[in-house]
Amino acid sequence: MLRRFRWVVPYLFLIPGGLWLLAFFVVPMVIMASVSLQTGSLGTGYQMTWNFGVYPAAINQFSTQFLRSFEYGFIVTILTLLIGYPMAYTIAFRGGRAKNILLLLVILPFFTSFIIRTLAWKLILADEGFVLGTLKSWHLLPEGFGLIATPISVISGLVYNFLPFMVLPLYVAIEKVDHRLVEAATDLYASRMQAFLRVTLPLSMPGVFAGSLLTFIPAVGDYVNALILGSRSTRMIGNVIQDLFLNFNDFPRAAALGFVLMAAILLMVALYARLIGAEELTSG
Amino acid sequence: MADQQTEIERAIERAIAEGRVSRRSFLRRAGQGGLWLGGALSLPAILAACGIKPQSSASASAASASSNASPTPMPTQAGQVQWANWPAYIDIDDKGKYPTIEKFTKETGIKVTYTEDVNDNEDFFGKIQPDLAKGNPTGYDLIVLTDWLIEKMIRLGYLEKLDHDQLPNFAANADPSYTNPWYDPNNVHSLAWQSGITGIGYNPKLTKREITKFDDLLDPAFKGHVGMFSEMRDTMCLTLLSMGIKPAEAKIADVQKAGDKLLGPAKAGQFRNFYGNDYYDELANKNLWITIAWSGDVTQMQLYDNADVKFVIPDTGGMHWVDNMTIPNLAAHPTDAHMLMNFWYDPANALPLSEYIGYYSPVKNISDLISKDADKVEASGDKATADQMRVVAATVNPSGEQLKHAYDYKILSEDEEKQWNEIFQTVTTG
Repeated sequence: MLRRFRWVVPYLFLIPGGLWLLAFFVVPMVIMASVSLQTGSLGTGYQMTWNFGVYPAAINQFSTQFLRSFEYGFIVTILTLLIGYPMAYTIAFRGGRAKNILLLLVILPFFTSFIIRTLAWKLILADEGFVLGTLKSWHLLPEGFGLIATPISVISGLVYNFLPFMVLPLYVAIEKVDHRLVEAATDLYASRMQAFLRVTLPLSMPGVFAGSLLTFIPAVGDYVNALILGSRSTRMIGNVIQDLFLNFNDFPRAAALGFVLMAAILLMVALYARLIGAEELTSG
Repeated sequence: MADQQTEIERAIERAIAEGRVSRRSFLRRAGQGGLWLGGALSLPAILAACGIKPQSSASASAASASSNASPTPMPTQAGQVQWANWPAYIDIDDKGKYPTIEKFTKETGIKVTYTEDVNDNEDFFGKIQPDLAKGNPTGYDLIVLTDWLIEKMIRLGYLEKLDHDQLPNFAANADPSYTNPWYDPNNVHSLAWQSGITGIGYNPKLTKREITKFDDLLDPAFKGHVGMFSEMRDTMCLTLLSMGIKPAEAKIADVQKAGDKLLGPAKAGQFRNFYGNDYYDELANKNLWITIAWSGDVTQMQLYDNADVKFVIPDTGGMHWVDNMTIPNLAAHPTDAHMLMNFWYDPANALPLSEYIGYYSPVKNISDLISKDADKVEASGDKATADQMRVVAATVNPSGEQLKHAYDYKILSEDEEKQWNEIFQTVTTG
């Protein structure tokens, strides 16, 4: 009798997660889809008019910010990968007894709020702050030089804030690499470089995949860094959505942009998964 | 949210009732893993059901009902009040405490949770609006917002009526220019907190010259060190004035021209950013050389943060605004909020506030009281402080000359506001 219903068990385990998704993902999505197709204003109320025209209009109007968000997201992912891989590699293979402490240091910034950390950068990089101010007083930088309110400060902020999301999955993947395989490669006359490229790197690809998703997706949608460290010319799509929602109470356009952003990210992730061969990675 | 979920449930029921999916077949399909199909069938109905109700006070929504009915009987004092105000808008001592608020707590036993949650009118409104629209409490008992937003929120039915029997100090001590204002006839919903002028703040050491006019903000010599406001009205109205147009008479074509005037410099990177009240720190720590600014902020900055900074009303004019204390719908502690409002209209309490923040006070004769205080301080031998206080005494009442150059906002209809916003957005977003 019990055996007959055994197939139910995995589905039972899915119920809590499923309900959570339903309440906090599916329902809000439906509401957002609905809002995006309505027209009206705060005073007159919003009515459903199936106004699909809002989508092309919103994409057209804010294409610059869309492209910029993806550009920044792409740059940030590459930079965090370049910075994070050597870090994760060193901790995993050379960390020794300090491993746990080093990992703790990686996540230590999370003990302060995201906003506070970003605001701190605004002070550190201020035009007359202790870094630029000092360099200017030594005449190493011209008087009018500034970093805040440039793409450099926004991208640096994003890299700083999302680096741990890259390092941790990379560490997990690299740590799992069987060191004997590397030894075998060198025994078979591979140079250390070849051993890394042919053994360690391919085996750590699941970490690269997970890390770049965890970095790219929130970076593209982020608005805090561009808000605090940026200016008009660094405004990302997240800033536009925030503006439309909170400042202009233009809910339909904001909801439409939110949807387009999500669709675009899904598409990019699907392409990336195809490119890197995610199915083989996850099954391996 | 709850409201919309029930809307969804109703939509599902309606779909079932209309026979698109019978209850039994709906359940059976769901049981077979066909829930997705069932959901998809009723999805259009669900989407269509999530309309957002109109927010004009004419509609009998739950939210507006409470403010349009005759004043609800006042609950008794609750012992606490949640107050959202703007940064740099209260007296504060060296230890970071608020001495005058503490005095209120001592006198009444009411604990005040003071927050500086308002950085920008539009932004703060955007945050509390969803709750007000749904008829939920916002969590605040007292909020301080600018005149034009008070007008808009009254129109939307978002504010409680005040019980003037509980506000005797206002009747006795309010300066006549703050009673019965244009945005809230007879002060039914609001009492003035402080007022001031939107003009230009600058640091002469960095600009290396004196500033007199709005167009100085567009001087390429200051490229990348100019601040603009994210408050659409302040930025656009100052620009309109610089073109010789009174904001209250501006037509859309004028606003478009004002937008065009800003767009070129904006694209060229003239403006560092569009700020809320956070421009204060940027100006004080020299990231900004010149910026749109609020009069009293600059007075405070001179006294406490950066003595070099100056304020000027552009020769083409500035904007005169009044910030008001008001109680949002369904505030949990309205009686306490009334007591706190009444408290600030006692000159004994308004005095230390004004001495510290230096905005225009709505309380009668504050300037004289500060001067008297200054005399006392000088008699005790502290001439430096006395001089500082005299500077403030001169700033807490507008001079006739200043008011002659200051203009009121225009009341914008929904359509106008949308058009102004669209134009402004092309300036702020590039």
